[in-house]
Amino acid sequence: MSPRGRRAMSRACARLLPRVCAALADPRQPGSDDTCLEKMLDWFRELREAEPTVKLLRDNPCLTEFFTAVLALPEPEPNVLSFTLRLAGIVAAVEDSFMHLQQLELLARLFGEDGPLNSAAWEDASVRSGWVEGVHSMVQHQSALHFICSGGGIDVIFTLQGDPSLFVASAACRLLVHLLTLSVGSELTVPLNAKDCDWPACAHMIIRHIEESLQSNSASHIKQSLKLLTSLFGSCQAPWTKVLWLGMAKQVESFLTEDSVQAQHILADLLLNMARSPVFHDTEGSFWALVTSALEHLTPVQSSPLAVGILRLHRCPQVVRIKALTVLLQPMDCILRAAFQPLEYAGLLDESVSDPSAVESLLSSKSSCASLLCQTLAHLEELLSVVFLPVNLPYASLLRSVVTILQFCNGLLIPASPLGSKISQILVGCFRVQKSALDALAALSDRKCSDTVVGSLFDVLLAYLESPNTTPTVLKKSFKAMSKWLMSLPGMSFFKNQQQTEKTLQDVFLVLQKRLCSPCWEVRDSSLEFLTNLIRNLRDHDEFRQSLLSSEVPKLTENLLEDPESYVRASAVTAMGHLAFITYFFVPESPVAGNQYNKEKTVAKLQEILSTDPEGFPRRAVMNVFTMWLKESCTGQLEETEQFVSTVVQTTAHDLDWEVKLGCLELVQIFCNHMFCRFGLPECPYAPISSAVTSSICQNEPLQIFCRANLFSFLFRSLCDCDKPVGQKACDILLALKSHFCQSSTTDLQGPGDLSAGHGIHWLQGTLRQGSLVQNFPTDDGNGVDFQDPESMMLALRTIDLVELHNDLNKCSDYVEKSPQSLLEDILATVGTAEENEADCY
Amino acid sequence: MGSRQFLFLKGKKEKFFCFAEGFEEVKRAVRTRQSNLLCNVFILSVSCSHFHLDHCGALPYFSEMVGYDGPIYMTHPTKAICPILLEDYRKITVDKKGETNFFTSQMIKDCMKKVVAVHLHQTVQVDEELEIKAYYAGHVLGAAMFQIKVGCESVVYTGDYNMTPDRHLGAAWIDKCRPDLLITESTYATTIRDSKRCRERDFLKKVHETVERGGKVLIPVFALGRAQELCILLETFWERMNLKAPIYFSTGLTEKANHYYKLFITWTNQKIRKTFVQRNMFEFKHIKAFDRAFADNPGPMVVFATPGMLHAGQSLQIFRKWAGNEKNMVIMPGYCVQGTVGHKILSGQRKLEMEGRQILEVKMQVEYMSFSAHADAKGIMQLIRQAEPRNVLLVHGEAKKMEFLKQKIEQEFHVNCYMPANGETTTIFTNPSIPVDISLGLLKRETAIGLLPDAKKPKLMHGTLIMKDNSFRLVSPEQALKELGLAEHQLRFTCRVHIQDPRKEHETVLRVYNHLKGVLKDYSVQHLPDGSITVESILIQATAHSEDQGTKVLLVSWTYQDEELGSYLTSLLKKGLPQSTS
Repeated sequence: MSPRGRRAMSRACARLLPRVCAALADPRQPGSDDTCLEKMLDWFRELREAEPTVKLLRDNPCLTEFFTAVLALPEPEPNVLSFTLRLAGIVAAVEDSFMHLQQLELLARLFGEDGPLNSAAWEDASVRSGWVEGVHSMVQHQSALHFICSGGGIDVIFTLQGDPSLFVASAACRLLVHLLTLSVGSELTVPLNAKDCDWPACAHMIIRHIEESLQSNSASHIKQSLKLLTSLFGSCQAPWTKVLWLGMAKQVESFLTEDSVQAQHILADLLLNMARSPVFHDTEGSFWALVTSALEHLTPVQSSPLAVGILRLHRCPQVVRIKALTVLLQPMDCILRAAFQPLEYAGLLDESVSDPSAVESLLSSKSSCASLLCQTLAHLEELLSVVFLPVNLPYASLLRSVVTILQFCNGLLIPASPLGSKISQILVGCFRVQKSALDALAALSDRKCSDTVVGSLFDVLLAYLESPNTTPTVLKKSFKAMSKWLMSLPGMSFFKNQQQTEKTLQDVFLVLQKRLCSPCWEVRDSSLEFLTNLIRNLRDHDEFRQSLLSSEVPKLTENLLEDPESYVRASAVTAMGHLAFITYFFVPESPVAGNQYNKEKTVAKLQEILSTDPEGFPRRAVMNVFTMWLKESCTGQLEETEQFVSTVVQTTAHDLDWEVKLGCLELVQIFCNHMFCRFGLPECPYAPISSAVTSSICQNEPLQIFCRANLFSFLFRSLCDCDKPVGQKACDILLALKSHFCQSSTTDLQGPGDLSAGHGIHWLQGTLRQGSLVQNFPTDDGNGVDFQDPESMMLALRTIDLVELHNDLNKCSDYVEKSPQSLLEDILATVGTAEENEADCY
Repeated sequence: MGSRQFLFLKGKKEKFFCFAEGFEEVKRAVRTRQSNLLCNVFILSVSCSHFHLDHCGALPYFSEMVGYDGPIYMTHPTKAICPILLEDYRKITVDKKGETNFFTSQMIKDCMKKVVAVHLHQTVQVDEELEIKAYYAGHVLGAAMFQIKVGCESVVYTGDYNMTPDRHLGAAWIDKCRPDLLITESTYATTIRDSKRCRERDFLKKVHETVERGGKVLIPVFALGRAQELCILLETFWERMNLKAPIYFSTGLTEKANHYYKLFITWTNQKIRKTFVQRNMFEFKHIKAFDRAFADNPGPMVVFATPGMLHAGQSLQIFRKWAGNEKNMVIMPGYCVQGTVGHKILSGQRKLEMEGRQILEVKMQVEYMSFSAHADAKGIMQLIRQAEPRNVLLVHGEAKKMEFLKQKIEQEFHVNCYMPANGETTTIFTNPSIPVDISLGLLKRETAIGLLPDAKKPKLMHGTLIMKDNSFRLVSPEQALKELGLAEHQLRFTCRVHIQDPRKEHETVLRVYNHLKGVLKDYSVQHLPDGSITVESILIQATAHSEDQGTKVLLVSWTYQDEELGSYLTSLLKKGLPQSTS
């Protein structure tokens, strides 16, 4: 192992490699699987980190022989040639290996004029892609840089920028950025200034190319160069980028108004990347003037992403920020102006700073209205999710305009103004806008806006929840927005008025009752999720509890435990689990609760679901509910809880669903922790430690309880479950138990004890290793190990090497598959068999 | 394995339609440059052809993690079965710990809530312009081919399909929809597959022999799809041969799978539907649910276990137990990726390193039987013949084989065939016929003028085309003027014709008049007092040439309505006047 933890090439691999190379270079063999070749490249990247590559080349001459052999083929397989180029690039990334390859005269034949780039193979996109990637990997030092720049390679890369394959074109762009950064970064010793540009040779070639392209008449060349600059300024923030920019600023600026180039959206990206780079923050205001000009000249659709980016910046002139805000809010402002009389509400923006004509025309056109609004709403939602936003948004007006959009969308508002009526005509029934607006509305709930608009907000949301035209997806979003706003109610000044709160809640539950009976499972499920969410967050509020319990919702929820759709049953289980907190756990004397909510009945029902439901989701949900109850100590007194856990464990032990088992293990873990806390073992630092408790196994209360509840049987069986997460979890719990019991026990830690031969601890360990515990542990009758016997269990815990087992289980189950040796063996084994087993995809 | 397609339909408005494909592919597309496609272009809708993971595996990632918020279209069975397989996929991935950033059960559910289920041959209007339609694809239960139409341009995406019916599914079918583009899978681009019957016979023979000599047979499968086909095969064979060895189907998926096969019986083939009246084919008598303790039972048995590549879970566990006995057999019914135990044993490796450096020696017999349901070369050609596309695009296949098929398609059908590599853009030109609304008045007038309309012959119509608000209307010029509030301008064409005639001007005019009157018997030819001649709106005046008195210049002018007559007249006059009229 190398110091960095990377593995050098093992002997076994070194023995296999020559045969693999020979097979790959053999034209008679069918082309190897691309995934194998990718994995081999990954392996060589690791090897490069682990040992000097020149040593790798010298120790394994088959590698250079492989390069030579592939280059000598008259018609190499494109994927093998591409692999060769990429492998050579990885190896040549280190300077002495580069020299080694050059001495063998291989480099020019791989990446130079004599190579594939002048052969028929170049027609294949994968070969070009391999060439670009190979060069990218290789150029990590001056020798390689010089080789590419002086050997004509750079012109090839310039051409590849316009490659018909998107992958090749973008890789070429990234490569140029890399070359430029490397060239300037490593060769430049004195800082540049704008007038005296002594760029290093390679950088000079690239910069000249960019400048020429920008000045050319070709739109595609201009776009390529703009993309290159975008990528450069996005990845490099060195001072020289500013010098580079100053030489091109004027030219780039002209494209803002040049319609023939159609590069506006690239320009927006470019300016945004620059705005994020501190280098451009003090360019005497000229850069920010350009940004302002862009915000003015680009269409609302193009400038909106730029505006959002600007608003997230912490270092930015206030004027630019205001401009960006204006761009972003313009559509929302237009909505308000179109919907209301000028005196009714002030708009979002001062008319003096903005010219709404462009936005108005977009909003009044059927083809652009919805897209513009969706984009704006999505951007607003994005901004609202930023924790430290450097600008203050006018939340109240924004809320009003979002509510107005929602009113347009379901025909609640048809204003008299020509623009307003046009927009309302376009938007009515538009699901896309509904969804975006509801998302934005939900995001706005975190902001304090005590305004009368909140009243109309609830009206609109209720209208959406009620309307039969609301689609399931829109309904789900309406529920989300409603629950977020309801949750923010207690803190809001608006609903100090208790009656209004009660009225709203009653209305909500009325709608919910209806939705819980929907014929559409998606709707029933979303309704139950909404209910659960509300209870989780509002269960401490009296008004909420009263309204809920006086409605039909709890009864309907219980009925849904029998729903034909398993997703719905699962959600009903979760809702019932939460409902229990309101109905009996924390309010035993609640007058409303009465006899109709019976704890035992619910528990029995959930137990029944756990043991009989044919689908996994409801059973998983039951496990989650039980775990939640146990966590919140709602399962009763000690004995009751012990009985409860024991029953659940018995039920789950034979479940086929791995997540149900995992849930049960979670339950067991919590139970164990509770017991330790209660009986004062070290898990709880504040618990009284009594030496008497730990002195003997017989008096070890937790151990007795765990045995009685038959936990060990479940844990040991889970240990060799075929689903690994189950085994891992069981092992974690057993390890914890071992550390508790064995640490505090006075018994000898070394000795395996004197269990009868053949059924001793060694045997147990062996059986565990073989993974055949289940059949070898029939029950506790006869000669088998008694899982309920504390003494045997203590011995088992002490003697089984759980740590080793834990390490084994935590290895990826495919760690063998991932080993390079396995990869090489697979490639060799496939040689000759590929024809037989035709690719046969399912 | 797996592929992805993004499709632009450039019509009046740019449309973007996407077929959800394998998880890794979409993830890579999102990560690399193609993410720009996803972000910059509004994705209108996504459709998913069937429940196999290389076709639906990326859906939750796409809708819940990348943030796609639009509708997803699937057939009813696919919608029902998809979550089961996605759960299984999630389990294996989480189990292997390879992927930490993976979707959760909740995400799968949320994704499924966005799915709009469609019926076969039902036209679904996605928005005003875009519509989709599903066709039966065979392959697996619920598999569909999708036709996407924008205006008059259309594309068919096949997903995976099968052109030969099997034991439980019918053959793919599409009508002669003549799409502009057919995107077809080409897994078996060059293969003509040997008869299904032979393969089945082979399979049964091998299973039977193993069971007879007391061995155990392991068949690793993915829970749904081919597994049901093989179950029916074995069930009928067991029944016929009266065999007693137990057959098990592992995991809790079997009941659920059979439940869905029963539920969607209309999607299976005719035979199953017919026998359904007496007996449901999916209620197996011989096939029982598997308990993991059974693996150690002595004696012969057949077990179907998941997953299909022997890379984790139950199938791998059973394989480990049985591998050491040469009496046993494992039958791999499908493709395995490199690295999996399935791939290793198929390529002939017999000593496998397991966890903890243990070496597992494989003594059991290893068999490979291809049972996947893809169309072979014949099938692909047959589908092209059925649909009659104008262009074909091959995906989901190997380059060399696709090249061969491409040539064959181009030769036989004379259509363009494309096979773009990943990341390559293909542009296809179409000749859209643009529908135009015609006003009733104009239609009546035009039909009144001409002969009786013949439905088979195209008819030329004259009118004014108004292009407004993305709509095209053909109306009469008068109506157009009225609608657009424009005044009418008269446009006259003029032409000078030189005639050699030494006589006086009025005499020349008279000669012309007589000549025309003789030729144009159906028209009203008038000689006006001012010396000019009119034929309908055509006006003819004669003047002497300023330099040569022997030449007369005839000035002919006409309105555009009489363009035909005007041109005819000028050409007539250019031939000169007949001598007889003199």
